[in-house]
Amino acid sequence: MVGTIKNNNIFGVFDDEDVFLSAMRSMEETGIRIKNVFTPYPIPEVFRIMGLKTRMPYAAFIYATIGVILTYAFLYWTSVIDYPVIIGGKPTNTLSFVIILFVMTINIGIVMSLVTFFIIQKLGPGKSARIVHKGITDDKYVIVIEKTKEMSKEDSQRINYTLFEYGAIEVGEKEHVENI
Amino acid sequence: MYNTKVRGVLVEGNKSYADITRDIIEPIESKVPDWWKYAFIISIGALLFGVWASYITISEGIGTWGLNNSVAWGWGIINFVWWIGIGHAGTAFSIFLLIVRQKWRTSINRAAEAMTVFAVLCAGLFPLIHMGRIWMAFYIMPYPNTRGPIWVNFNSPLFWDVVAISTYLMASAVFWYVGMIPDFATIRDKTASKIRKAIYGFLSFGWVGSARGWLRFEALAMILGGLTAPLVISVHSIVAMDFATSVMPGWHTTVFPPYFVIGAIFSGFSMVLTLMIIIRTVYKYQSYVTDSHINAIAKILVFISLIMGTAYSTEIFIAWYSGSEYEYYTFFNNRISGDYTIAFYGMIICNAIIPQLFWFKKIRKSIILVFIISLFVNLGMWFERYVIVVTSLSKDYLPSNWSTYTPTVVEIGVYVGTLGLFICGVLLFLKFIPMIAIHEVKGILKPTSNGRYHKK
Repeated sequence: MVGTIKNNNIFGVFDDEDVFLSAMRSMEETGIRIKNVFTPYPIPEVFRIMGLKTRMPYAAFIYATIGVILTYAFLYWTSVIDYPVIIGGKPTNTLSFVIILFVMTINIGIVMSLVTFFIIQKLGPGKSARIVHKGITDDKYVIVIEKTKEMSKEDSQRINYTLFEYGAIEVGEKEHVENI
Repeated sequence: MYNTKVRGVLVEGNKSYADITRDIIEPIESKVPDWWKYAFIISIGALLFGVWASYITISEGIGTWGLNNSVAWGWGIINFVWWIGIGHAGTAFSIFLLIVRQKWRTSINRAAEAMTVFAVLCAGLFPLIHMGRIWMAFYIMPYPNTRGPIWVNFNSPLFWDVVAISTYLMASAVFWYVGMIPDFATIRDKTASKIRKAIYGFLSFGWVGSARGWLRFEALAMILGGLTAPLVISVHSIVAMDFATSVMPGWHTTVFPPYFVIGAIFSGFSMVLTLMIIIRTVYKYQSYVTDSHINAIAKILVFISLIMGTAYSTEIFIAWYSGSEYEYYTFFNNRISGDYTIAFYGMIICNAIIPQLFWFKKIRKSIILVFIISLFVNLGMWFERYVIVVTSLSKDYLPSNWSTYTPTVVEIGVYVGTLGLFICGVLLFLKFIPMIAIHEVKGILKPTSNGRYHKK
């Protein structure tokens, strides 16, 4: 299945933001690779710890540029090439195009950014959510660590233990966890 | 608790994250109260009146309206501009405050965006109905056709309107919906009902709140906000150009676009105030929509009211200073005195004078007074559009063309119908959609959530 692995994942549930953040920091320092975290609301500190960055604003700029070019090409073709209408001798390639250009740039920028978001985040109407823990959309913070093939039983037990040590209220294992 | 120096505590009552979830999805989980049912029936009644009026308009023609050869635009365009103005609430509130990173917006933005979507829908109906032959409405769209092939007039403000308003409707609906995805996921995971779980599960698009998801979600919100903010300015500027590019006395002024944009934000904010006071009282959301929120909106209104007053004075001054007798006549003999003084003074009093009461802290603190003043502003903004449309048209350059205008029951019916549609939409919103953005309010509960954690 897209976005998941068949391997098991270890997850730790936290009920306090500060404890959760310090656990994340400590795990990064000890070299345990965090696969994903789930939070009920965006926490900028999480992005910093995991070193996450997005290129969406650049994409949006490119989309808007495409929007302005496409719209101008359309206006030029309709009003200058295909069916020029002379209104009181005014030029057919006119400055008043700027208003439609402005609006359509925004229009195309919005639609394409939205589509990009849904595609890269693999979201869509009716998609069934793979929920690690019921509280992730309420008041719980979840850290997920991937259990790789190379990991011995002791290794995964050590991770379990570490999660508890760092303040997790619940630790468990789960198949199919989103990695995006 | 997130405590800013300027605004104080944003969410009162020492709420936990679970409290916030419970408080906000409680109206969705519980049965609808009786007042909701009565209000819904009344709004449906109003809507049916509107359906009847629209049917008469379309089947018999625009002749059923009180329009005549001189006053060719009446309530139709007045209400169109009025609704578009109210439709600026969501964007003005949500998006401007988002891009200037004002955290106090979080408990109000959802309702403001909902209002935007419904108000723009209502506004969009008027030009369609006013076309007369609504079944030919698609002629306005530029597509390769068999009529020539002639294209639409890309230099007409009326076509700009089509592009701008449909884009605006799309943009505000998208912004609104994307913001609701994480909240739908919350309902999906919290609700006990299987039907609700299935519906909200479908609507939540499989959202799980992963770190990458939130990062991209926030980036998208900023992109949509950043792109829609200039759109707000352009939409109402274009509506203003419907008037300003004509040669009618009282319309042909360069002040119109900024004056309309400010007016729109003014009516949008006042409608937000009206609605938020009702919501916070009925649903007991005083901890989220605090007195400090009301105070902040009132302060914005007093400032915008001053700008409105300046715009009115500018128009009157220029009418005299320009030396144009037609402009002078319109302003001094057909607005300040003449047949339409009630609308003119109603506009001045409601928009420029009454909101000045917000200078007094005591009045800003009294919720009832704030509510009443917000209603006055809504009314005043309607008067403003009436003054602009009717006075200029009724007495133009040729005295033989002069005529007066009174709306017919059909026109009133269309307006009442849109009010019904709007209230109906708002009621459905109150019942089925979390009326406060759950994840956004959670994000402002603690200073750590705002990127101030261990920042050296």
